[in-house]
Amino acid sequence: MDKLTKEEVLHVAHLARIKVTDDEIEKYQVDLKKLLDDVDKIKDIEVESSELLVTPVEHESILRNDQDTRSVDFNEIKKNVPATTGNFVEVPVMVNE
Amino acid sequence: MNNYLDLSIKEIHELLVAKKITPVDLVEECYTRIGENSDLNSFITLNKTEAIEYARKLAEEEVEVDNLLWGIPIAIKDNISTKNIRTTCASKMLENYVPIYDATVIEKVKAAKMIIIGKTNMDEFAMGSASRTSYFGAPKNPVDKTKITGGSSGGSASCVAGNLVPIALGSDTGGSIRQPASYTGIVGMKPTYGRVSRYGLIAYGSSLDQIGPMTRNVYENALLLNTLVGKDKKDLTSVEREKEDFTRLIGKNIDGMKIAIPEFFVSSIVSPIIIEKLNHVVEILKENGATVEYVDMKYLDQVVTIYQIITMGEASSNLARFDGVKFGYRAENSESVEDMYANTRYEGFGTEVKRRIMVGSYLLSGENAKIYYDKALMIRNALKQEFNKFFEKYDFVFGPTTTTVAYGLDENLDDPRKSFMDDTLVMPVNMAGLPGINIPMGKDSDNMPIGLHIIGAHFEEARMYQIASFLENKLK
Repeated sequence: MDKLTKEEVLHVAHLARIKVTDDEIEKYQVDLKKLLDDVDKIKDIEVESSELLVTPVEHESILRNDQDTRSVDFNEIKKNVPATTGNFVEVPVMVNE
Repeated sequence: MNNYLDLSIKEIHELLVAKKITPVDLVEECYTRIGENSDLNSFITLNKTEAIEYARKLAEEEVEVDNLLWGIPIAIKDNISTKNIRTTCASKMLENYVPIYDATVIEKVKAAKMIIIGKTNMDEFAMGSASRTSYFGAPKNPVDKTKITGGSSGGSASCVAGNLVPIALGSDTGGSIRQPASYTGIVGMKPTYGRVSRYGLIAYGSSLDQIGPMTRNVYENALLLNTLVGKDKKDLTSVEREKEDFTRLIGKNIDGMKIAIPEFFVSSIVSPIIIEKLNHVVEILKENGATVEYVDMKYLDQVVTIYQIITMGEASSNLARFDGVKFGYRAENSESVEDMYANTRYEGFGTEVKRRIMVGSYLLSGENAKIYYDKALMIRNALKQEFNKFFEKYDFVFGPTTTTVAYGLDENLDDPRKSFMDDTLVMPVNMAGLPGINIPMGKDSDNMPIGLHIIGAHFEEARMYQIASFLENKLK
């Protein structure tokens, strides 16, 4: 197989919450397959230790007091919000009846 | 025109101290040059009114005689948040986004009284190796305008190499400072992971990203790094270190230094002309008392695979925030919130970004996280141990920065893997959190720059500048 099925592309697109149009599907079938073939090579790489590296440089864990130290004025934030009603962020209906 | 920008920062500083010029002269010259070279497409947003106003204000103040960066113009990559200056990440998604706060590095640049000229072009969300995924069109290489600048910090490389602005900030996740520096013939440093705060850097691969300086020479690079570093409470991955002057070893010789060159870095994937230039560097090193050994280092040929998994995985998580709700682009006429997410991301992201998010989402979903991501982190750990082993015996690891010189703007457009392969020699550094620097080491027969890549152990930047500066002088 040198490409993904349409269903596989739609599944991956759904995971990523990205719409895919019919005319794009064919290209994704090929391009995503190339990348997935690449990353599949990892299965063949042998490694001695099973220790994971999460971050490359050691850090101390730092705890801070559980108190508010900073707050941003909503009027500032609002400048970048696509749609607002009063002091609320407006979005399409979330709950279907 | 007075061409003050052709002078070194030290020389400019002397003119400022002697009151022969003011920052206004420098800023005006920057904008004249940017205007005359607008075809380079180095910038997405200019900060002209504010920069001139600030330069006028500085002109009324006393020059800080000990601060060489006082009044010096700087360009900032457009994924670094700048308060009240549009920050787009070269994406339609953030085309109209104006941050309400400064990144920590911007606070530091401002504290040094540097003047922000504008925001530089880049690959969309730093994903790419040629800056061609920019929503605003690709920047061009000043050495040959038909060639790519490299990426993702292509605009920063372009404006420094074209001498439009003397100094710039870039960011590097898998080579995005060093590779464009190599293609355009300038100096670019990716510091040790944790040296520089990432607060305000719009994240791509959080465990790899690092901000660093892009400059015309080694000394000015070290100078800018001096101002950028330091522990930051707002970035828990930043590291507390004793304050040091990164320029302090510049000018010293390299007698007794031990250098390793991994066989993979000089294998058949690298152009012969680049190997030839590296061999010349090896001769210089030996003539000056350093030793060079070719070594076999494990995992280097597999780094693209682990890089793809880690960056695409981290990117899919980091870019989940771009959903059209609180900031950035929002698609119109969606019937539900789910619809709005999918439409917004469909319309707001470009092809490369969408592809990487999709693959990343798949790699992190369910059982796949163990099969791919965890395995990649195991190899990442093994690669770091491998570097540690070599740094017990050697001071530096050397190699070329890139496998070829910069290619044509219209070449290699159709292969989704190409942008990863371009960075194959520089990615290992990010994997292990090491510092890496590119310096020019010659040109090919078409005058295209060729870069030398120097890798140091963690927090060894000062000694890297020492050997980089030594070679810079010898290669002149």
